[in-house]
Amino acid sequence: MLKPFIAGTMAALGLLTFSWSMRAQTETPKQTDETKRNWNNDPTGNRINRSLDAGQKAGPAPRRDLSGIWDATATGGVEPAGVAEHPAVYPGDTPGSEAEAKRFRGGQPDEKGVVNPLPYTPLGEAALKANRPTGQSVRAVPSVLGNDPGNKCDPLGFPYMENFEFRTNELVQTKNQVIFLGQYHHKWRIIWTDGRELPKDPPPRWNGYSVGHWQDDYTFVAETMGMNEKSWIDHAGRPHSKELRVTEIFHLVDHDTMEHTEIINDPVMYTEPWMAHNKLILRRQPPDFDIREIFCSPSEIQRYNEFVGDPINPQEK
Amino acid sequence: MRTKLAISALVAFGLMAVSVPLFGHHGSAVYDTDKTITVKGTVTEWVWANPHCWLLVDAKDDADNTAHWVIENAAPVNISPAGWTKNMFKPGDEVVVDVTPGKNLTATGKTVGRFKGRVVINGHVFKP
Repeated sequence: MLKPFIAGTMAALGLLTFSWSMRAQTETPKQTDETKRNWNNDPTGNRINRSLDAGQKAGPAPRRDLSGIWDATATGGVEPAGVAEHPAVYPGDTPGSEAEAKRFRGGQPDEKGVVNPLPYTPLGEAALKANRPTGQSVRAVPSVLGNDPGNKCDPLGFPYMENFEFRTNELVQTKNQVIFLGQYHHKWRIIWTDGRELPKDPPPRWNGYSVGHWQDDYTFVAETMGMNEKSWIDHAGRPHSKELRVTEIFHLVDHDTMEHTEIINDPVMYTEPWMAHNKLILRRQPPDFDIREIFCSPSEIQRYNEFVGDPINPQEK
Repeated sequence: MRTKLAISALVAFGLMAVSVPLFGHHGSAVYDTDKTITVKGTVTEWVWANPHCWLLVDAKDDADNTAHWVIENAAPVNISPAGWTKNMFKPGDEVVVDVTPGKNLTATGKTVGRFKGRVVINGHVFKP
């Protein structure tokens, strides 16, 4: 009795999953009365599991146009253990899974033994150890003991805003700018496309200074520098200096798919450039898509720590 | 054939499950994920907030001592698609909640856990 039920449930889940993946490849979907113009129709909600135009091949990518609502949540853009290409986990561990949580080995002094280690300079290694990440990396500590600037509602800054909880973002393109409107912590940044050059030795900013250009009709390249040193690179506490430069490549594969590549170059902290994202997939969402709100509220964080964060580790404070 | 389908569905579901970790900010290190405790008591507050929501429940043990439970959930943005709402618990509601307990329960006045499946509100089972 139970077996057919389990098989049926699994098959249904499989179909749901299948229809989800099919939908992501489709042309701008036709909307049913049931789904169109809903508030809060976030990808973690019902929308992404509904097959709107399953089976249709995605149309061609628009020429020189990044605009749209793009989701990374379902394609690995959460990264609780550090950037996708260099998660601070041991071989065999899947960040965020229940199995990983069971054999969680947080609190390690360094990243010795992790998969795909980073090329730290001695200064980089020391800076790493001064950062106490929470989350699910090998060095993670309970939230009350961490010093992640994001956990206390400091600005995430760039590129941390894209390397943790990338989630769902709107890109707006004007004559002179690409404007990035991010869901998580309600952040925005500007990539200038008016031909200006990067500034020389500018005062540092959380998001730095960004310029971009089209390398070809479907490939947009952005360069960013001038970030302050208060932000991290990712949720594993990877450090950067004010010498950090980040190259991003936004490549439109087809109408519904974009690849995001991000290269970190900081000779103070790392002996060579390395990839944070290597063609991380972003999926286009329907044009009526209403992104749910995720603010970082200092008073809510304070209350959270009072009730949840602090009581759970009182003797370690 | 059916076995194959079931296996592929399981794998696919597994991928879905790991692709959106609900407790990404703070991890699971502070919870004893092998244990489950059933909390029966009265709601005093349901806090719908970032980074995570939490439910406050006063639960009496056999000796009539009241434990003040703090039961953590994920962020509103993560749980509302599954049907959790800001108004689903009210002060005074009688609840039964399965929780993953914190590792340091005895060391703290506030007992802390995390939602782990079963939620019953005034006798009605909540199905996310």
